[in-house]
Amino acid sequence: MTVAAPTPAVESRREVLLRLEEVEQFYHGRIRILGPLSLEVREGEFLSLVGPSGSGKSTLLRMVAGVLAPTRGTIWLGREPLRGVNRRAAMVFQSFALFPWMTVLDNAALGLEARGLSLPARLVKAEKYLELVGLSGYERAYPKELSRGMKQLVGVARALAVEPELLCMDEPFSALDVLTARTMRDLVLDLWGKPEVMTKSILLVTHSVEEAVLLSDRVAVLKANPGRIEAVLELRDLPRPRRLDAPTVREIVDRIYGLLA
Amino acid sequence: MAARRFSLALPVDLALVAAFVLVAVLAALASSMLHPFDAPELDPSPFLLPLYLFRSIARLLAAYTLAALLALATGHLAARSAFARRIILPTLDVLQSVPILGFFPAAVAVFIGVFGHSALGVEAAAIFLIFTSMFWNLAFGVYESLITIPEQLRMAADQFGLRGPLRWSRLLLPAAVPTFVYNSMLSWSNGWYFLIASEIIAVGKARYTLPGLGSYLGNAITHGRTDQMVLALLSLLAVTIGTHLLVWSPLETWAQRFHIDESGARPRTPRIVRLLSHSRIARWILNKVILPASQHTLAVTGRLMDMTARLGTAAAIGSALSLLVVLALVGYYLYELVTASPLSAEARRIPFSLALSFLRVGIGVVLAVVVAVPLAYVTYRRPRVRAVTLSVLEILGSVPAVAFFPLIAVMMLRLRLPMDVGAILLVLTGTFFYVMFNVLSGATAIPKEMNEAASSLGLTGFHYLRRVFVPAILPSLVTGCVTAWGGGWNAIIFSEYVVAAGRTYSVRGIGATLDRATYVTGDLQVIALSLITMVGLVILVNRVFWDPLYQHVAVRYKLET
Repeated sequence: MTVAAPTPAVESRREVLLRLEEVEQFYHGRIRILGPLSLEVREGEFLSLVGPSGSGKSTLLRMVAGVLAPTRGTIWLGREPLRGVNRRAAMVFQSFALFPWMTVLDNAALGLEARGLSLPARLVKAEKYLELVGLSGYERAYPKELSRGMKQLVGVARALAVEPELLCMDEPFSALDVLTARTMRDLVLDLWGKPEVMTKSILLVTHSVEEAVLLSDRVAVLKANPGRIEAVLELRDLPRPRRLDAPTVREIVDRIYGLLA
Repeated sequence: MAARRFSLALPVDLALVAAFVLVAVLAALASSMLHPFDAPELDPSPFLLPLYLFRSIARLLAAYTLAALLALATGHLAARSAFARRIILPTLDVLQSVPILGFFPAAVAVFIGVFGHSALGVEAAAIFLIFTSMFWNLAFGVYESLITIPEQLRMAADQFGLRGPLRWSRLLLPAAVPTFVYNSMLSWSNGWYFLIASEIIAVGKARYTLPGLGSYLGNAITHGRTDQMVLALLSLLAVTIGTHLLVWSPLETWAQRFHIDESGARPRTPRIVRLLSHSRIARWILNKVILPASQHTLAVTGRLMDMTARLGTAAAIGSALSLLVVLALVGYYLYELVTASPLSAEARRIPFSLALSFLRVGIGVVLAVVVAVPLAYVTYRRPRVRAVTLSVLEILGSVPAVAFFPLIAVMMLRLRLPMDVGAILLVLTGTFFYVMFNVLSGATAIPKEMNEAASSLGLTGFHYLRRVFVPAILPSLVTGCVTAWGGGWNAIIFSEYVVAAGRTYSVRGIGATLDRATYVTGDLQVIALSLITMVGLVILVNRVFWDPLYQHVAVRYKLET
């Protein structure tokens, strides 16, 4: 529960899964939108990036997922620099990004198909993760027929099915209504704790300070123009389940609002 | 349910077997029994009509397959590489607006030169001509649907590692399906529209008649054989309606599942597929033949398309270079033709003829708008009426406009109207459907909230038309007009000069000039000059009028989604 310096001190207790080193992102090669900044994602942690729009938090997530290359700087996956798509990460999208022409099952199995798994193997795995998120019985449905919350569950199952080391979530709950978002948050925490789920590290991008504090081990607070890390808060000692009306939680939320102001 | 399935299984099976046998017999007969292509006249026996029909459909199918594959490759290349885009889009734009029909004689001469005067050469020429009527809108459609794939979907495909052929079969091809099916329908109609022109081919004094429905109809018109004409038209209508019911309408229903919108009902299964699912033979064919075959085709197409994409820039440079060479050759050849001799009297009249044709095409476009907009307004808000209107239009649009010509000509004679009116009506058959289809799809896309807002504010009748309907359809209307403008120039070539029942009906105009030079005098200088001035005018008007107008309208009136 201490505010760390903008460049976080290395914490020795946990292995580093991925390290961004002095990364920068320019728009059209000229306008700086992000960085230079450095950040670590550690094994087994739930890390949130919170900040106003324009702070580059989604850009940061895209660089980690490897769908966007940094203009300058390096992203280290262990000892290897990341080139191209990050095969050790999988992404959950704000507007779900489900393929409307495929059934729920085919959507969930998509990443496995791209990884060359045989048809039976990928169906077994996709079904397993659909069951874990509570969508058994909807395998043959099409995304169009589902509610928004259920669509995002398919998105989560699709990402978990490739059994990535890191789950990247880009504002996953902001297209949902408040009640559904709350249920979904609990579900993600629940999945994160389940032994059947291989994924142990989560990187969440959100504009909701409350959401970040309720969920995370660490919260990186970003500010805009250009995007930079203002502070990284360590919340591992804050007991779970957390409630927004608990004074300790309230205090941290207020402190982050103070940092963002 | 079980009882019903049992009762339907036998009839559906029998119908299927009968259809197979019929097609096989027709194929066997059509390939053997018809007279060779260079027979001066077609055997007019009505019993041969099914065979002619079969040959025409085979020709259309070959042209369509070629157009579809090339359109996928071209559209993808344009969507993928900025360099290729800068070459492909302007080229397509010019080629689709230019009256291709005027270039038919030249193109045919090239093909026959390459293949010699064999049947293969003439067939290839005919297929190429049909191809030119099908390709452009397909390629544009593929490009449009690929660049409008939502960014997050594209990113998801990247992130989950969809590359190469898999990316094609899971992302690109499905995203292109709705526009592709719609454009295929239009292309198919267009193919019929050009059929008469493609099956009776004249190069200078030589005349080739390919056995087919188009040549049959064309001959009937020229000789004034009303009975044959009616017979041919009826078979054409029957085939068009059949195709609509058995192919396009089910395909459209099926294609709905590929629409990228967030909510909606469960994708519907086409009725014909549900009917066929009663049949054991159909189920067997589906599982043992169609499904494996289509998966195989999908994989092959994916690999093929991926290959063109890999070649990307090289392919673009190659096609650009070859295009330049062809253009330079054509330009040089035309220049030679024009300067070979001093300008003839006919050649000096070309500017005036062009001005007259310009007026006719202009009036044709305006008339199309005047008819189409009210018709769309009346029909689009009543779903049942709209569905019926659409079907009727799709079927009517498939009738080659050439087929209307004798009817209009007869009407003109009866009412003692000048041929000018007839020519404009003929141009209208080449413009109306473009405007109508575009306006209808624009009207259907008006958001429900907007209509609800309008009615809650009390906007009705004229006020609704002025404040909501017309502004909302304006971008589609302009697109429709641009395409109709191109279609009108194509139609002008056979609208100003009609030979029916042994008589020639003609008015002064560039189309008539071109036709007379092609079929009667063989004056190459006039042909070359007509083509150059006509193409120049069409491109000029596109650049100084339609392009700026579309930009303006698109910026101001495009509905954000």
